[in-house]
Amino acid sequence: MIQFTPEVVEAIITTASLIGAGVAVIAGMGPGIGMGLAAGKATTAVRRQPEARGAIITTMLLGQIISGSTGIYSLVIAIFLIFS
Amino acid sequence: MNPGPQVVLYLFDNPNLPITDTLIVAWLSVLIIIISAKLATRKLTIKPGKVQNAVEMLITSFIDQLEPMLPGEGWRFLPFIGTLFIFVGVGNLIGLVPGLTSPTGDLNTTLGLALVVFLVSNYEGVKAHGLWGYLKGFGQPVIFLLPINIIGELAKPISHSFRLFGNVVGGGIIMALVYQVVPGLIPVPLHAWFGLFVGLIQALIFGMVAIAYISVARSD
Repeated sequence: MIQFTPEVVEAIITTASLIGAGVAVIAGMGPGIGMGLAAGKATTAVRRQPEARGAIITTMLLGQIISGSTGIYSLVIAIFLIFS
Repeated sequence: MNPGPQVVLYLFDNPNLPITDTLIVAWLSVLIIIISAKLATRKLTIKPGKVQNAVEMLITSFIDQLEPMLPGEGWRFLPFIGTLFIFVGVGNLIGLVPGLTSPTGDLNTTLGLALVVFLVSNYEGVKAHGLWGYLKGFGQPVIFLLPINIIGELAKPISHSFRLFGNVVGGGIIMALVYQVVPGLIPVPLHAWFGLFVGLIQALIFGMVAIAYISVARSD
């Protein structure tokens, strides 16, 4: 059984939380793909029906907000891991 | 580097009543909003001048967002949603002034605003369906989904507040990192993106999500 000094334990905890923060922001991939898909579909819809542009953009933004939430969660978790 | 709010002083020397810098900047932005609103509506005329024209355009754009989501009730919700948008927008933009920190970069501010939206949307739901009818809506379409619906309802203020907080704080951290690497003129265009564009878009999104929550609570 190896006994660690408190400094070593603290260094291990810091390292682990920094690695965890890096892993957490990998979740930024998903919202990127989802928001890009929504924007692409909205572009097609505007091309097809240019007179409904305002309603399409509002709907697209709402959908992107909801799908972007997961990315924000990962960002907040990463921030808390780094600065706590 | 600590991005959180810094305690400036304690009210009545009581450690339970801290006054943070974000709170002071929030009071400052409230003062700015009140003074500019007084100045903009001081002498209203039938034929609008420059300032009145700009304010009327702002109000008309709010109504254009509100009317499709809450048909016939846009003017009733205009003061609430407009105040949210203007406060969040001014709070984001005031962070561009050197020495001031954005009040929206503090989770306490955004969570407070999101809880107000949560209370208003639930109140409107109860008002539209009656208390029992609104509570019955959580058991739809089958009663087994009741816990999931309740968790989904409680997740709304959390995601609503974390979205604004995460965007503002994330932008601030990226700006701080860039300033450490390349001080000078290079970070200035980044302020246009993280300060102006993201700030205004997030204010618009905060208001739009509030409208969406209220309209969902009234309609289901």
